[in-house]
Amino acid sequence: MLRPEEKAALSLREIYESHGYSFYRMSRFEEYDFYADKKDFFASKAILTFTDINGKLMALRPDVTLSIIKHAKNDSLQKFYYDEKVYRVPKNADSFHEISQAGVECIGSLRDEDVRDVIELAVMSLRLIAGTRRCILDIADAGVITNLLKGNEKRDEILKCLAEKNIHGLKRFNAPENLILLAEIQDSPDKALNVLEGITDSHCLGVLEGMNEYYDELRIDFSAVNNLNYYNGIVFKGFIEGIPESIISGGEYDNLIHMMGKDSNSRALGFAVYLDLIERGSD
Amino acid sequence: MLNIALPKGRLGEKVCRLFAKSGYEFPGMLDNNRKLVFVNEEFNLRCFWVKPFDVPVYVERGTADIGVAGKDILLERNPDVYELSDLKTGYCKMSVAAREDFKDDSQKILRVATEFPNIAKNYYAGHGRDIDIITLRGSLELAPVLGLSDVIVDIVETGTTLRENNLHVLSVIAELSARLIANKSAYKFRKEIISEIMRRLESNS
Repeated sequence: MLRPEEKAALSLREIYESHGYSFYRMSRFEEYDFYADKKDFFASKAILTFTDINGKLMALRPDVTLSIIKHAKNDSLQKFYYDEKVYRVPKNADSFHEISQAGVECIGSLRDEDVRDVIELAVMSLRLIAGTRRCILDIADAGVITNLLKGNEKRDEILKCLAEKNIHGLKRFNAPENLILLAEIQDSPDKALNVLEGITDSHCLGVLEGMNEYYDELRIDFSAVNNLNYYNGIVFKGFIEGIPESIISGGEYDNLIHMMGKDSNSRALGFAVYLDLIERGSD
Repeated sequence: MLNIALPKGRLGEKVCRLFAKSGYEFPGMLDNNRKLVFVNEEFNLRCFWVKPFDVPVYVERGTADIGVAGKDILLERNPDVYELSDLKTGYCKMSVAAREDFKDDSQKILRVATEFPNIAKNYYAGHGRDIDIITLRGSLELAPVLGLSDVIVDIVETGTTLRENNLHVLSVIAELSARLIANKSAYKFRKEIISEIMRRLESNS
């Protein structure tokens, strides 16, 4: 018998295959050095290590994306999906956990239609897991926020308030007026894109125009912005009714692939589905 | 049913009155009894008393859809929730206090007694100061008086308790008050009712 999260993983793989993504299988270990200089990109800094029989310090993978980037060629466009375990210390936990994660990564010379395809896959993943329950994909533009906060001494405090929809906090920290206006948006693209246009120019959210088939689930909501070291463009978080935290998290992370030696004009976009959360919503 | 976690104690009672004033009555909630769960049939709300420190846990994990917590607790626990509103009640200050005769010797490690180790750690990290945190569960004023610590990081409301123990405030870390928080997922799917509660609480606070 398959457990609900195993069933979901199989169905997700079918969806990703049908969109031209190929399965990426990797070793559970990487050399520790591989992660050591990229810690800024992770929310959790702890890495589970062990010494291999040849004396090399190895790490149990805390993240899948880095391994995929490492193996990706400097090619025109590559699309991968995965279904793996990662090893992290979740927030507020005091030990490592094994976390089941599925997801997609799209790396190379991305066009708008590839971005739309990734968003479509994220919504389809949500719908699949949600079944009869409702689901929502919050989408924002991390680049706009980075620009608004350039040189701002209270950057970290303001970002925290933005993630908390804490408007009174944003005012207290004298956040830029436009950022406060962005923080107040929480609507589907048909309404929100017009409002957004009056505040700032966001090409990466412009791609949502015409994705009407997904407007029921899509929400422009800047509380989805997190980790500006990692994300530089579109960023999103997916929620399902009855599951208390976001089950999908993703976005565009060009800085990371440039740092890892890929072409300076190449882009990367992907998301992860936290399969362990499925059982949290089953009761 | 929308679940609401309120902090048991003085702040919770104030907030409970604010809910009643806003049209959300929970019969029996302020009576002196041991009941923990109260229902408002009209709006289909269920309210429960929990330890103030636990409110963010109930909300972050979705057992409560919304809750009210002091900013001190939110700063200490740093939960992944929405902080929707400042309810402008339960005002006080997270402060550093010491004995009247205290002189800071920057060559020594500063001993800090507190119930809020994360707040203390973050504050002194921002000042680049080496500290030794002593976590206590109350009667903080005793620590500097008896020489257990050099300073305390604690909530100061009027300052009376400090004065009675010959302590005074050295600096204010944060302004505190009651905040309305919401589970991120619950907020997306129950936005109408949560926004309505927020609007009414704000107009009555």
